[in-house]
Amino acid sequence: MAASSGNHDKKSPSGPSEGTTFDDNIRLDGAAGGLFIKAGAVGLGALVLSVLLGMMQHDGGKQLLHSYLVAFMWMLSICLGALWWVTLQHLVKAKWSVVLRRVGEILASNMPLLAILSLPIVVPVLLGSTSLYPWADAKKMHADHLLEHKTPYLNSGFFAVRWLIYFGFWALLGRHFLVRSLRQDESGSQEELSRLARLSGPAMILVALTLTFAAVDFLMTLDPTWFSTIFGVYYFAGCVVSVHSFFALTFMWLQSRGRIAKSITIEHYHDLGKMMFAFIVFWSYIAFSQFMLIWYANIPEETHWYKLRFGGPWGAVSWTLVICHFLIPFFGLLSRQIKRNKKTLAFWAVWILVIHWVDMYWLVMPQLSAERLPLSLLDLTCLVGLVGVFMAAAVYQARRVNLVPIKDPRLAASVAFENI
Amino acid sequence: MNEKASTAGAASGTAKSHGLLAEYRTPGALIAASKRVRDAGYRHWDTYTPFPVHGIDRAMGIKMTGLPWIVLACGLLGCGTGIWLQWWTNAVDYAWIISGKPFWSLPANVPVIFELSVLFSATGALFGMLALNGLPHPSHPLDLSARFAGVTSDKFFLLIQSSDPRFDERETRALLQETEPAGMEELPEGPGLDDRLPAYWTYAMVILAVLALVPFGLIAKARAEKSSQPRLHAIGDMDWQPKFKAQRANLVFADHRAMRLPVEGTVARGELFDDDHFYRGKTSSGAWARTFPKQVEPSDELMQRGNQRFGIYCTPCHGQLGDGNGMITQRAQDIGQVWVPPTNIADERLHRQPVGQLFNTVSRGLRNMPAYGAQIEPMDRWAIVMYVRALQRSRHANLSDLPEADRASLK
Repeated sequence: MAASSGNHDKKSPSGPSEGTTFDDNIRLDGAAGGLFIKAGAVGLGALVLSVLLGMMQHDGGKQLLHSYLVAFMWMLSICLGALWWVTLQHLVKAKWSVVLRRVGEILASNMPLLAILSLPIVVPVLLGSTSLYPWADAKKMHADHLLEHKTPYLNSGFFAVRWLIYFGFWALLGRHFLVRSLRQDESGSQEELSRLARLSGPAMILVALTLTFAAVDFLMTLDPTWFSTIFGVYYFAGCVVSVHSFFALTFMWLQSRGRIAKSITIEHYHDLGKMMFAFIVFWSYIAFSQFMLIWYANIPEETHWYKLRFGGPWGAVSWTLVICHFLIPFFGLLSRQIKRNKKTLAFWAVWILVIHWVDMYWLVMPQLSAERLPLSLLDLTCLVGLVGVFMAAAVYQARRVNLVPIKDPRLAASVAFENI
Repeated sequence: MNEKASTAGAASGTAKSHGLLAEYRTPGALIAASKRVRDAGYRHWDTYTPFPVHGIDRAMGIKMTGLPWIVLACGLLGCGTGIWLQWWTNAVDYAWIISGKPFWSLPANVPVIFELSVLFSATGALFGMLALNGLPHPSHPLDLSARFAGVTSDKFFLLIQSSDPRFDERETRALLQETEPAGMEELPEGPGLDDRLPAYWTYAMVILAVLALVPFGLIAKARAEKSSQPRLHAIGDMDWQPKFKAQRANLVFADHRAMRLPVEGTVARGELFDDDHFYRGKTSSGAWARTFPKQVEPSDELMQRGNQRFGIYCTPCHGQLGDGNGMITQRAQDIGQVWVPPTNIADERLHRQPVGQLFNTVSRGLRNMPAYGAQIEPMDRWAIVMYVRALQRSRHANLSDLPEADRASLK
């Protein structure tokens, strides 16, 4: 056996104990406390400021709720994207991503926080306020012949039930992945991973369904007469493209603090970059499919949604999406060199996260104001607030766990992974 | 198992050597060996593996391929072709209005542009890869090595060619020996091996290429000249089908009709309309029926049905209120069309008409109004008549007709 010097060969019993010694700083430990307080304070401060600013608007909270919805759907797309990503890695038993997986699990297990953060959107609906969703008022629904038929679905009671199902399922699934994965850190059991892989098949189907319905409920019904069957996929594309950007930035930040500094290599960033590129194209494909079918059929009950978004200042925003959510990042991320350079990749990751926010803005805000861009300081404070609270919760989860699943038998292959 | 490593194969010195072939058992060993050969400065050498080995490019010192640029160029060419093709065919050569869209409307053209970009890119990637690799390569001295057959299952090989300027029988052998191969052999150039395609392949491809031009030639010919001959029917079965179409002649029968009448004295299943009251709105004496037939039992449900059917079939002309002010009437007035407005259903004259007569009008039409008997089931027609009666009633209603509870709201 003298000549076998490769690190790919032989099935090592369980755990990397023999052969590969994993030495890397994979604990937040000391750094966690300060970060938690800083991010949490900034987040909570910005949210309190948002409420104060919102009350000064004297518009029944409309601007505040719309700005908050934009920021919330942006934040949700990161968390939901992480949940989908973790499910996918288990489903295909991916090797390359093992070293990244724990951070994904930590982000995905933030769902209970997002459930709480969704209350400012859900509670007004239950109180019958139409600040966000016109359908929250049952009387209006019955007055409109087109909407009357939708009342069995679009009513506050059933909305609350669906909200419970979505967030309940997401929270349980995210929690389950994290807890089992942490348990596997100790047992090093292969069986544990197989169980997660078996679970991830049905889980993937449920994630797809809940994500679709949630996108319809939270975004599409802002205009209750409009409908598009591809809408869930559209939001999903945004989730995936932004979660990979978010991952890239998170790992760069962790590595700049000396965490997982040796194990995550440019090869892993290259793969994250490939996914960003692929899903930029996917987003464009879906966005255009939705647009073209509606444009071609030219049926008034469908076209009014786009007519609103091509009129006044919204036309410029629509074109911004075409150019900055597709054309520029498409050519920007095309090159291998750009994806293999942390600085350029970071640039495009930030770019995508910003334009994804514009995308959410474009989905929500025309329903608030058709004639002018309702830009407000609230857009910023809501976003900062949610990101701060989200990061604080993630750091809290991460404070005393390994940032890498150290006993996953595929870990050595993941660390040694190279793109061809 | 290294003991098995042999230096056999140095066989006879007569044939010219193509190079030295070393065999390895693991990708790791091959990568380690590749690094040494790379660092020794060899250039004419290659590795052979049963599957893509991660990191082999770097271990061999292979520079990044230029293939992406070929693919990008092909993709842009495909994009441009898609735009030009559709612009020229739709907007220039054969301008044709489709769904009221402009001749040149980008959204409709994006799918084709996209598909052509993908097609050109994929074609460029495939043929660019083949060209850059110098493929196809019909024969190679490696084909003669029995040992090399293992490359398709579980063996890894490294070949240094004797054409390399640094190649030296002894030194190269020593270098490879140091990498601890599982086996090694000298590869003979092989007698009579020819790297070129067999001649008949070349001829066959030239003939195929010429034949492929024939359809284009025929199209060009057909475009250039006029012909008095009928057109070619490539699929006659489809153009001339042995069947008779509706309302055509058939000389086989004495009356020359292709469509046959039912045999005398018979009635097709479900077509015995022998209830004058229900199907024609008449009493046995032939007068318009003043009552609804016994099959029509007045109910809230039937009234709702009548409301719905009326909404679908009648409102376009008669309007929601039955007053003759439907969308079509409004539109006719908008564009100044000569237009006889439909009858006001609440009109006194119609109010007095028997239900049977209203049923007949719905079934068979009247003046400008087309017959709806073929489209609406008899029961639905009665439902409409019932709803029309309700409409008429509502137009001539008194306060006393309202339920007690609602009267206050009107006062």
